[in-house]
Amino acid sequence: MAERASERLLRLLGMITYLDRHAGVPVEQVAAHFGVSPRQVIDDVDTLWMTGTPGYYPHDLIDFDAASYEEGVVRLTEARGMTRPLRLGTREAVALVAALRAMREALDPSLDAERSQVLSSALEKLTAATGEAAAGVDVRLAVDGAPQVVAAIGSALQSGRRMWLRYVNASDVASEREVDPIRLVTSDERSYLLAWCLRAGGERLFRVDRVVAARALDVPAEPHPVSGRATDFRPDASGGLVTLRLASRARWVAESVPVEAVRNDPDGSFEVDLRVANQAWLRHLVLSVAEDVLEVRPSEVAAAVADFARDALEAYGPLGEQAAPTS
Amino acid sequence: MPEQIHPAERLLNLVIALVNTSARMTKDQIRTSVAGYGDAPSDDAFERMFERDKDTLRELGIPILTVTGAGHGDDIGYRIDQEAYALPAIDLTPAELGVLSLASQFWQDQSVRTDTTRALTKLRAVGDAPEAADLVAGLAPRVRAAGDSFGPLLEAIQARRVVTFTYRAASTGEVRARSVEPWRLLARRGGWFLVGHDRERGEARSFRLSRIEGPVRATGPEGAFDAPDADVLEAAMRSWSGGSQQIAVLAVRPERAEALRARALSSADDMGPAEPGVAAAPADRDVVRVPFTSLGEMAEEVLGYGDAVVVLAPAALRQAVVRLLRVAAGLHPASSGGPSDG
Repeated sequence: MAERASERLLRLLGMITYLDRHAGVPVEQVAAHFGVSPRQVIDDVDTLWMTGTPGYYPHDLIDFDAASYEEGVVRLTEARGMTRPLRLGTREAVALVAALRAMREALDPSLDAERSQVLSSALEKLTAATGEAAAGVDVRLAVDGAPQVVAAIGSALQSGRRMWLRYVNASDVASEREVDPIRLVTSDERSYLLAWCLRAGGERLFRVDRVVAARALDVPAEPHPVSGRATDFRPDASGGLVTLRLASRARWVAESVPVEAVRNDPDGSFEVDLRVANQAWLRHLVLSVAEDVLEVRPSEVAAAVADFARDALEAYGPLGEQAAPTS
Repeated sequence: MPEQIHPAERLLNLVIALVNTSARMTKDQIRTSVAGYGDAPSDDAFERMFERDKDTLRELGIPILTVTGAGHGDDIGYRIDQEAYALPAIDLTPAELGVLSLASQFWQDQSVRTDTTRALTKLRAVGDAPEAADLVAGLAPRVRAAGDSFGPLLEAIQARRVVTFTYRAASTGEVRARSVEPWRLLARRGGWFLVGHDRERGEARSFRLSRIEGPVRATGPEGAFDAPDADVLEAAMRSWSGGSQQIAVLAVRPERAEALRARALSSADDMGPAEPGVAAAPADRDVVRVPFTSLGEMAEEVLGYGDAVVVLAPAALRQAVVRLLRVAAGLHPASSGGPSDG
């Protein structure tokens, strides 16, 4: 059996506590409650039925009402004193409380009053039950969409409706499209809307800070197959290979950009290999780390970035002259 | 040969026995009477099994207490005190369980996921009905994986123990051992960080978790340092708090940078020609005022628009952008100036 004994033990104990509080629960409901299959619940009940205090005579054992069980209903008749719920361990409490705090801060704009209230009450109850354990971890999620956009996405997701979006892509080109929203991914780095784009006929990831307008339509969203890994932003990797040699200070590039390979030099500098089809994205990356770029291969990429920068400097005219380069 | 008893069943029998025992059970009593331990083929095998089970139960938050017999000191028994491990009274609605379930999927690290999955199993025991996911449908909040150092650092923060680790400095690339009193773990745009007191430098420092090389080790006793005063912690955290809001005044080409325009203050807000830089705006551009908190992030965003967006004010933002543009322009000589180096 793949499941670890400790995880199964926790569920067995949890089931005793739960069934002690709820007289007669159908197997399917127990399964839904603990997130396992009905088959697993039957296995678990059969195991519980054989455990108890030493001696293991019938009156020593955890017991269920056999007639109910025949009908698929689990009715606990003897708990052997195991009815107290388990307290959360420190790490367990910290992880959940820190997550809830970050969610309350970041998701609030996408929630209506009722859902916002549920999030708060869950956090309050958990904090009351575990103490102020979570001060050691502080997670801040990116909230980088316009409030009305985020609210429209939240409401469309909840009511399962199609959306109209106005979206600006990495090349600063705006387009309008209808999408069936699938998921709003709020992470520490960026927020994305995963949606089925009707114009493209496929799954697309939209940066929420580039959705400039959004509204839910009076059309139900259709269900679409969702690929499992679609929530991670990956630039289209069909482009040619580009290598950047960077000074140590730009190490975040190797850590936060999908790179094909990283080679470290003893002096702290390093090279990353990238494969990117979107030239605007690549240009923006090189611009952001310009001060730490030691080399770009092929040189056409460096030439394109340099031309782009010169055009921009020209736009500053005398304004740009005022800014003496600091070294 | 009797059928092997599943380890979970043996553990459950041990817990039930030690909760129900009138005073305590000795190891011998456990071995001979608790179902599952009879399977141990030797004394050694039993000892290993029992020690491992004790560790497992402690890990799950069910500590086994050691009780010494009244008469002789070497006569050791065991029991479990239910009061010590019980969750305080808590009732969770299906909707609240749904939110907690979402919170349990927040973490990408497998080790933390194990913790949150366990927490959820414990909480489901006190939930009324299966969790209702419809309230949080479609929301996927998450934090990036923090890596192997997260667990040991969190333990050390809770226990207030000093940690040592090898760290690669960003500025120099230098790799050196550090000794730190850990205060807090932060997830921000850009990564996971540890804020703490660097013992060698004698001051508060931040460390990026991804630059910690090799294992994090806790050394010395628990409670080795006092938790930082609120103002000390606040000072150390200041660079992470996002800063105060400023307004970028931008000269934007018509019909460009719509994503910036969408965040702009409305033109009805006070904006006179007296405002710094506005008078210098080229006539063919729109003046747009966009609030921001992080100068670095704003500069990076503006850079991407190239000549479509010119920063008029504040000067610090303009200088940051212009400086990066100059450096970028120097990455390659202008192609119009001479033969290309194809």
